[in-house]
Amino acid sequence: MQEALVEFYTAHASSAAVAVARFLSPIPPSQNPGRLYDFLRTTNEVRVKGDVQYALQSQMRRHMSSDEINAWAEIISCYWRAVDRIVKAEQAENQGRSAERHALDTYDAWKDLTSNFIKYISNGALPHWTVFTLYFTANHLRKFALKADEQIAKAKPVAFSAGFQDDIVSATPRNEKLEEAARVFNRIFALCLGDRNPDWMTSRRWGVYCIANLQFKTYFKLKTISLSKNVVKSIAAQSDLPQFHLYPASHRVTYMYYIGVISFLQEDYPKAEASLTEAWNTCYAYSTRNHELIMSYLIPCRLITEHAVPTKKLLDQFPQLRSLFGDLINSIRKGDLSGFDKALAEGEPEFVKRRIFLTLERSRDIALRNLFRKVFLAAGFEDLKEGQTEKDRIRKSRIPLSHFAAALRMSTAGADSGQVIDDEEVECLLANMIYKGHMKGYVSHEHAMVVLNKKGAFPRTGV
Amino acid sequence: MSGATKPTAEKPTAAAADKDTPDATTKPAAPLEEDDEFEDFPVEDWTEEESQIPGGTTHLWEESWDDDDTSEDFAVQLREELKKLGHSK
Repeated sequence: MQEALVEFYTAHASSAAVAVARFLSPIPPSQNPGRLYDFLRTTNEVRVKGDVQYALQSQMRRHMSSDEINAWAEIISCYWRAVDRIVKAEQAENQGRSAERHALDTYDAWKDLTSNFIKYISNGALPHWTVFTLYFTANHLRKFALKADEQIAKAKPVAFSAGFQDDIVSATPRNEKLEEAARVFNRIFALCLGDRNPDWMTSRRWGVYCIANLQFKTYFKLKTISLSKNVVKSIAAQSDLPQFHLYPASHRVTYMYYIGVISFLQEDYPKAEASLTEAWNTCYAYSTRNHELIMSYLIPCRLITEHAVPTKKLLDQFPQLRSLFGDLINSIRKGDLSGFDKALAEGEPEFVKRRIFLTLERSRDIALRNLFRKVFLAAGFEDLKEGQTEKDRIRKSRIPLSHFAAALRMSTAGADSGQVIDDEEVECLLANMIYKGHMKGYVSHEHAMVVLNKKGAFPRTGV
Repeated sequence: MSGATKPTAEKPTAAAADKDTPDATTKPAAPLEEDDEFEDFPVEDWTEEESQIPGGTTHLWEESWDDDDTSEDFAVQLREELKKLGHSK
C-alpha cells in the first residue's frame, strides 16, 4: 500500500491539486494502463480502510493534522472501492454481460467518494486547494452519471410503450442519476461561493467558476438551461470574488462560452457577442473542437448584430464550420434567396439541434439586402456633370419598383418560372428593409419608385 | 479553512501551479461528449501566446462587401433582365 501512495504523497507535498486529482483518477494513464488493477491488488474490501489509515499515519504524521489524515484515509478508501467497481464493470463488459448494474454501482461508489470529499472540505479538515481536486472528481461523477442513465435507458427500453398514456412516465426518470449529480454540484457550488475566509489567497472562492461550468454542462444535458441563470445571478451578487482575469484560463473560457450561449438563447445578442468573442480570443490554441463550438454561436450572432459574415479563410481553417455554414454564408454573400432557403432547409436538423435555427432564419434579411444592393449597383451611374470626375460620380438613386421585383423573381425561382410575387409584396419588403435600417431612402408609392440616399444607401456595405 | 495545518501555497491557486502538466485525468473524454458540450481543456491555464492558433487567421470577418464581381452570372443576368424592363426614368 505504501508504494501505491507515493504518487499521492508527492502531489500533496506540493499542494498540486491537479496531481492529486490524477492520483484519484478513474482512468489509467496511457503509459500505465494497468494502474487501476495494480492499485486494487494492494489491499481488499475488508482491510482497505485500515491499510490506508496505517500507511498515511506512518508517512504523513509530521505533515498533516490527524483530522486531515483521517479525511484522506476515508477519501482514498472510497476511491479504492470505486476502482473496484470500475474494474468489475470492465470485466463484465469484456464478457458481454449486462452493464446496467455495474454502471450504477460505479456511479454510487463515485458519488460516495465525492460526498466524502465535500464533507471533509466543508468541515475544514482539508486545505482550500483541494476544491480543485474535488472539481475533477465531480466532473468524473458527471460522466459516470451520464453512463449510468444511458445504461438504465438501455435496460428498460420500451417498458411503457404499450400504453400511450404512460409515455410521460417513461420519459421522466431518464436522467435520474444526472439530476442527482446536479444536486451534488449545487452543494459544491455553495461550498465555494459561501466561503467567508477573508484571505482570498486561501479561499475556496477560486473554485466558483469551474464548478459553475460543471453546472452549466449538466443543465444543458438535462435541458433545464434556465436553471443556469440562478448560477449566473449568484455569482453576480457576490461582490467579494477575486477578479475574473486572475482565474485560470480554462475556467474563464468555459464560463464565457456558456454565458455567451445562455445570452444567445435569451436573444441578448450584444452580450452573447461580447462573451463569445472573449472566449474565442482566450481559447487554448489546440482545442479545435472548442473553437468550432464558440464560432457556431458567434457566426449567427454576428449576422444579427453586425450583419457580418465570416471570411473564407476562417471557414477554410475549420472544415466543420464550413460544412455547417458554408452554403448559407455563400448564399447570403451573393444575395441568392433560393440558395439561402435551400441551405437553411438542408441544415435544419443540425441547426435546430444546436439551437441556432431561428437566429439563422433571421439572416435572410441580409441575403435580401444584398440582392437589392445588386439592383442598385446594376442601375449604374448618373451622367457626369460639369466638374465631376470618375471618382465622385453619383449612382442612380431613383430605381423603379419593377426592377426590385424582377430581381426578387429571379432570385427566388428563376425569371420565367411563373411564380407570382405581387408588386405589393415587393413594396412591403422594401419598406421593411428601410425600416430595419438595411437601406436608406423611401418608397414613392405614387411613382412606383424607390428613392435611395445618394450617400450610404446600403449602410456598412460600401455604397 | 480552519483545520488546515499545511502551509498554504504561495500561488493564489493551486491549479495555476500545475499549468504545464498535461492532465491525464481529463483527456480521454471519448464517446460521452457530443452536441454542443464544451470540451475539457487538456491544461488548466495558459499564456496569451498559447491562445494564438499557429498559422490561424486573424481576419475573421468580411469587412466590406466591396469585392462585388459585376461580371458574375447573376449580375449579368440581372442587367439583361432590367434592360428589358427599360429605364422608366
